[in-house]
Amino acid sequence: MPVHPLFSRLRLLGAAHRARGTTGSYPHGLRRLLVNPVIQFLAAGIVALLMLLLLVGWLSERAATDEAVKDARATTQLLGRSVVQPALSRGLLTGNAAAVDKFDRQMRKRVLVGDVLRLKIWNRSGTILYSDKTPLIGQQFELDEDEVGVLDQGGSAADVSDLSRPENRFEKGFGRLLEVYTPVRTPSGQVLLFEAYFSYEDVSRRSAEVLSAFRPITVGGLLLFLALTAPLVYVLARRLDAAAAGRERLLLAAVEASDNERRRIARDLHDGVVQELAGTSFALSAAAARDNRGESGSAAQLEELASGVRHSLRALRSLLVEIYPPELTTEGLAAAFDDLVAPCIASGIEVDIQVAEHADVPAELVALVWRTGQEAVRNAQRHAHPSRIMVSVTRPNGGIRLDVVDDGVGFDSGRRPAEGHLGLRGLRDLVRDAGGSLRVESTPGAGTRVTLEVEP
Amino acid sequence: MTRRRTTAGRTWVTAGSVATAAMVIMAGATPATAGGSDVIKRGGCSGSAVWKLKASAQDGRIEVEGEVDSNRNGQTWRWRIMHNGDVSAHGKAKTKAPSGSFDVRRTVVDAPGTDRLVWRARQVATGQTCRGSLRF
Repeated sequence: MPVHPLFSRLRLLGAAHRARGTTGSYPHGLRRLLVNPVIQFLAAGIVALLMLLLLVGWLSERAATDEAVKDARATTQLLGRSVVQPALSRGLLTGNAAAVDKFDRQMRKRVLVGDVLRLKIWNRSGTILYSDKTPLIGQQFELDEDEVGVLDQGGSAADVSDLSRPENRFEKGFGRLLEVYTPVRTPSGQVLLFEAYFSYEDVSRRSAEVLSAFRPITVGGLLLFLALTAPLVYVLARRLDAAAAGRERLLLAAVEASDNERRRIARDLHDGVVQELAGTSFALSAAAARDNRGESGSAAQLEELASGVRHSLRALRSLLVEIYPPELTTEGLAAAFDDLVAPCIASGIEVDIQVAEHADVPAELVALVWRTGQEAVRNAQRHAHPSRIMVSVTRPNGGIRLDVVDDGVGFDSGRRPAEGHLGLRGLRDLVRDAGGSLRVESTPGAGTRVTLEVEP
Repeated sequence: MTRRRTTAGRTWVTAGSVATAAMVIMAGATPATAGGSDVIKRGGCSGSAVWKLKASAQDGRIEVEGEVDSNRNGQTWRWRIMHNGDVSAHGKAKTKAPSGSFDVRRTVVDAPGTDRLVWRARQVATGQTCRGSLRF
């Protein structure tokens, strides 16, 4: 008999799966590593960690920059109001050397300490009236929009210094700088622009401080999360693999069982009913010939042939029951089991069937009882060589219980069933899903008992 | 004989020598001496004291050092430094042991062109005055 194409395909798939699991037939070990869910999880975690670090770094730099700029603006405004403005004199506006000397000494003593690296005092026309870099004093440059805006509207503005501009040529040695402007007033009311320069390293330092404050929380937290979840992912992946392998085995077994069943049905039909019907047809032809010749004995022979036809009919009904489950809800389990055991009775096995009332039992549960009983009876008939089979359906405490007991050869129920004998194992999953239990008790030489129990 | 060392030009001055002092007073202000970029002037005051004025370049500025040596401790003097005609710095100082002198150092801005620096000191009690100037 040709092998079912689906079965062939599944068998190939199963072989490929086994090969992967045991011999590592992937072209590269790396590829196998990459498809490992735990490795994928860890890689995703590390990527997330790096992204988080970058994000935290970016955010902390932004926060630190904002904070440092805010501080620099506050410092500049404070210095402008409390130190620079009171020291401004008319002589400074006119470039009087002695006035510049006095202003210079005050600025160097009180302003150019700490964070402020350079300062400039501008008038509206862009002339530097004072800078601690004295060669700039008296030189004129163009004020940009921000600077004019601060002169006109007050407040303060901050920006990273453009060291390529000529007025900043002496600041190149300081590296990156943050310059802050704020207006100051002379005693005569003239508005000047006070510009202070701060090192941008302070911003970086603050950023590093913010980052170092957040790093243990973010990095440590994520690493801890990875460390805690990686074993769980590993266990889950193993379970998924095992479940997938189990499903594949069951599917293969089901397909193989179906294939075997089709072969058995064909064999049974060929060896049983077809042979019997062929014999009956020959006998009928012979009886007809005898009847034509006017010989006696046809009635007895016809009765014998009718008995043979009835036997064939019973065999066909049993086969039908095996091929497709009967209508259990209308005809009930008792009728179904009667048909099921007909071949056993025909082969000389004594069968006792007892079925309690089960009209209130859900149809799915009745179907489960039927399938379990069918599998148990078949197993007994095929493998146990029993002289007696007992099928019993009872209703303990409102639940339902099936016992299929035979007095056959039995087996060691502690051993795993051989490959291909997975019928009851497959049913066990269904029984568990229904909330019941399935037990198979057997001892070599002492028969077998299959018990299905489902609580109400 | 008492010797003291000034920072300007590492010049050793014999402060206690009356003869030398007399020569300085008679000669009036000595010419400026340049040690590198330093400019130094010395001269006698209206009494027995002598003065010194020194200017040296320093990071875009001029460091001005004025000194009065009266050889007497505890005298109070008012002093001023003028830069291009205006008072850049002023104050009060006392002569101290061991030399009976005082000195003042101030930094002024190096203005465009030649800077004219004047050192003036007046003893509060006697009115003795010292005045020296230089161009830098």
